[in-house]
Amino acid sequence: MRNYEIMFIVNPNATDEEIDKINGQLEAVITGAGGEIQKIEKMGKRRLAYDVDKFREGSYVLFAIGANGDIIKEVERRLRVMDAVIKYITVRTDEDVRRFEKIRSYRQKRAARRGSGERPASPAQSAEEAMQ
Amino acid sequence: MRSPREKRPPGQKQYYRRKKVCKFCVERIDSINYKDVKLLSQFVPERAKIMPRRISGVCSQHQRRLNDAIKKARNIALLPFATE
Repeated sequence: MRNYEIMFIVNPNATDEEIDKINGQLEAVITGAGGEIQKIEKMGKRRLAYDVDKFREGSYVLFAIGANGDIIKEVERRLRVMDAVIKYITVRTDEDVRRFEKIRSYRQKRAARRGSGERPASPAQSAEEAMQ
Repeated sequence: MRSPREKRPPGQKQYYRRKKVCKFCVERIDSINYKDVKLLSQFVPERAKIMPRRISGVCSQHQRRLNDAIKKARNIALLPFATE
């Protein structure tokens, strides 16, 4: 079992119910084949960076799933067939997540060896502050 | 509080010239995610080309991850391929 993220863009004219219907169908495909849904996130309508099928905006939906190659193949086939879906991307996430954990544990070990809290406790927070 | 002397090691003066530093190393941003448009767009100037390392100062490891993330983001229309 591997972790994937599938993000797709739905036609901006599609209603909320239509999006829910698509989500429901995909959910059924994934769980039916033994996959596991970790998250379904409707990211709302966004402007596209470039025109896709003459649309300037689209509704983004993000699925985080645990699945294998066959399930992904089937889900992608479905997405291709659906008229409302104008673009999709599948990204494998488990390798990245594993890498972060390795880095994080290494960093913690190092901080413990130094035995002092001279580094900011949460780097993510300081990064956010810097962005603002 | 530590005294300022402790923060600066003795060899500091040698490195006085302003050195570009990798944003990701300094701020300890581990995950360069393709969904993080706000972060990625800092590295794509107006023409939407990826900013070269010699300008941004990003280290090679992070530049590689950044490239991957930007290309993924382009694929799903979060970032443009090119602008007129």
